[in-house]
Amino acid sequence: MKLYSYVWKRILTMVPVLLGASFVSFLLLRLTPVDPAKAYLSVSNIRPTEEAIQAIRSQLGLDVPFWTQYANWLWQLCRFDFGTSFFSKLSVGSEFMNRLPITAALALVSLLLAIAVSVPLGIVSALGKNRPIDHICRFLAFLGASLPQFWLAYMLIYFLSVKMDWFPLQGAESWRYYVLPSFTLAFSLIATYSRLLRAGLLEGLEEPFVLYARARGLGTYAILTKHVLRHAVRPVVTAAGMNLGKLFTGTVIVEQIFGMPGMGGFFLESVFHRDYPVIQSYIFVMAFVFVLGNLAADLIQAWIDPRLTRFEEKGGK
Amino acid sequence: MYRNWKSLKAIVLFTLIFSLVLAGCQSNNNNAASPESSGPASTAGSASSTNAAAEDKTLTISWPKDIGPLNPHQYTPNEFFAQGMYYEPLIDYGEGGKLVPKLAESWDISEDGKTYTFHLRQDVKFTDGSVFDANVVQKNFDTILANRDMHSWLGVIAQIDKTEVVDANTFKITLKNQYYPALQEFAVVRPLRFLGAAGFPDDGNTAETIKSPITTGQWVLSEYKKDEVAVFTRNDNYWGTKPKINKLVVKVIPDPEARVLALEKGDIDLIYGEGTISLDAFVNLRDSGKFETSVSDALASRALIVNTTKGPFADQNVRLALQHAVNKQALVDGVTNGVEKLADTIIASNFPYANVGLKAYDYNVETAKSLLDQAGWMLPDGKTFREKDGKQLQIELVYMGDDEVEKPMATAIQSDLKQIGIDLKLTGLERQLRNKRMEAADSDLLFWSTYGAPYDPHNFVSTNYEPGYGIYESQQGLSMAKELHQQMKDVLLTTDETERQKLYTSIFKTLHEQAVYLPISYLTSIAVYPKYVTGLKFPAHRDETPFDTLDIQK
Repeated sequence: MKLYSYVWKRILTMVPVLLGASFVSFLLLRLTPVDPAKAYLSVSNIRPTEEAIQAIRSQLGLDVPFWTQYANWLWQLCRFDFGTSFFSKLSVGSEFMNRLPITAALALVSLLLAIAVSVPLGIVSALGKNRPIDHICRFLAFLGASLPQFWLAYMLIYFLSVKMDWFPLQGAESWRYYVLPSFTLAFSLIATYSRLLRAGLLEGLEEPFVLYARARGLGTYAILTKHVLRHAVRPVVTAAGMNLGKLFTGTVIVEQIFGMPGMGGFFLESVFHRDYPVIQSYIFVMAFVFVLGNLAADLIQAWIDPRLTRFEEKGGK
Repeated sequence: MYRNWKSLKAIVLFTLIFSLVLAGCQSNNNNAASPESSGPASTAGSASSTNAAAEDKTLTISWPKDIGPLNPHQYTPNEFFAQGMYYEPLIDYGEGGKLVPKLAESWDISEDGKTYTFHLRQDVKFTDGSVFDANVVQKNFDTILANRDMHSWLGVIAQIDKTEVVDANTFKITLKNQYYPALQEFAVVRPLRFLGAAGFPDDGNTAETIKSPITTGQWVLSEYKKDEVAVFTRNDNYWGTKPKINKLVVKVIPDPEARVLALEKGDIDLIYGEGTISLDAFVNLRDSGKFETSVSDALASRALIVNTTKGPFADQNVRLALQHAVNKQALVDGVTNGVEKLADTIIASNFPYANVGLKAYDYNVETAKSLLDQAGWMLPDGKTFREKDGKQLQIELVYMGDDEVEKPMATAIQSDLKQIGIDLKLTGLERQLRNKRMEAADSDLLFWSTYGAPYDPHNFVSTNYEPGYGIYESQQGLSMAKELHQQMKDVLLTTDETERQKLYTSIFKTLHEQAVYLPISYLTSIAVYPKYVTGLKFPAHRDETPFDTLDIQK
């Protein structure tokens, strides 16, 4: 019951955040000095005659006042209608629906892969603190933190796809297409998560309850996995929650290199085109994903440590 | 026990989510494989009637973007190359700007130069079996003219007064004024190409959408997955020479380096176009010896617009000093690896009316320095940059920040100008912001490129005399600006060939002597392909493709 009201409270706080995001993105776009009608003509490689600019402005609905445009957009949002792209002339909703699954799959698989690899890695390096295994893990973490994503992607493509022909090069047609891009994205996360977990585990091992557990005759491995891990994993969960949004928005390079028709490349192109409906809808959706990622992280935290919801309740009174 | 149960639950949950995600990817695969995708694909069934026994010659290419909805009368997101290869014009643009009959067998021009009568080819059918005749030409012109404002950049559209079906195979267009580039403009890719009647939406207006891409051309879209792949099958009922290959697969690969890797892996058979891969990658592929490479003739010009209205460039001597100070050969060799060709004149001599024998400015630092001395910009002892009336000789060059050629060229020009005592400030801007600066003529120098074939030189002169784009504004410092722009207007209206050449010669001479452009290089298309791809011939038209002559001989 407590968790239930906690969730409701959190969902309600999402509303002003999303409304704010919608307004700020709408306003900022219109403050930029470039006219989307001119951008359209420039991208089409045609000279921007006055007649053409006027024709496009009225076609795109840019000839009405700012507040009317915003009100129209909010009304559309209430009906889950994101408008029509200035460039593709297709509904932004359907453009997103074609692309979001690819980006979502890529982001989630990368996140899960990162967690699946970094948890054992973190445990191993904590158990073998300052031993060769810990040094190896540390080296991997440095690599993960410092290798540029695009370089790793090209290396993976060159060796595993072009040379060995183990994986396909371009596209998003089956799970095999997701292996290399997911690994590319997960690599730097693995570095962060495994170091976070190692630090958490080592700190946890100093806690008094570990001493009592030892006194009860439990072995280090059992103490680590059954008692300490529960606490040490919390920063990782918080980081993963924040990374979820970041992964959704940060897949541009990887999507471009691996030729995956996801949200990243589409958004980037829309920015260059000044495709207002796409940009403002994208910001709105991504704000939602960020908020949702944080909410999911907090809920998992609350599930791991129910005291959190009790604290929130007290704090709320 | 309870704890173990909990961790087991967590593992099961984890596995379940993971499998669901993978299953999601898998279902994507199913979608991708399905030919029943949304978009124009579903409409082009007739194409796949190719004889199955025929030899399979499939050419796979890559393109940075999706081909778009194949609407012949609209712009972005329709890709030029796709519209160009798919639809046909009345007249084609051949070598050296020669106009070649296409869907029009011949044409007559009335004595007053205002009425164009086209005699249409009689053996042409659309891919849905319907006949290509004057009525369908009229239908296409109706929708194009209904959206006249949108197409106002194309001179001939603005000039069309009326169109008329004379008989089934004769179509007449009457212009408001004489306009000599009309014929040349009938060769452009968009919007003057022809869609079959059944492809029109119910209201007959193609401004938003079309029902299906019905063409008279060599290819039919047979499979389409937006942002991933488009497959074109040879139109075996094509009226003219059929392509040698029977299938063309266009894979969308946004990243240039990935395109190179795809070629090396054998996933694609051809890299073609302007700027489709980095010039370094092109040279690496050429030097690897594994691929054939070729470079087209000049297609358009890369130049700097020199602003004559303000600052040091208001003085002709400073503009001339610039012409002598920049080592263009080094730019072309060093930055483009010789892929672009050195430009001495703003319009290359292989363009119509442009071979007027202008004398190139040589690269000569000493001449440049003496011209600056004459202009009063002197180099004080111990200083790097020249000064006049206590003011340092500083100018600004605006370029597109993410352009892989403009940026290194800008840096090289900066060092060239430093040699003669000019402090060049570089400003890299995103495309749209750069356009804004250009329109306002708010720079001393700005990277620009011409529209190229088949638009030039007539489109070039109209960009020069029409206010609003920043070029006309940049030329206002010339004492003869008014006469020059009047000549530019006159040349488009003259129907007398000798007079037209005379005007063009005068225009090009003035632009050259007044040094209002610094021509740097001529843009080219490149092609890289394995040895089994043969018959590559670059079209003269910048937006056309070479697929009709290509063959595969494995």
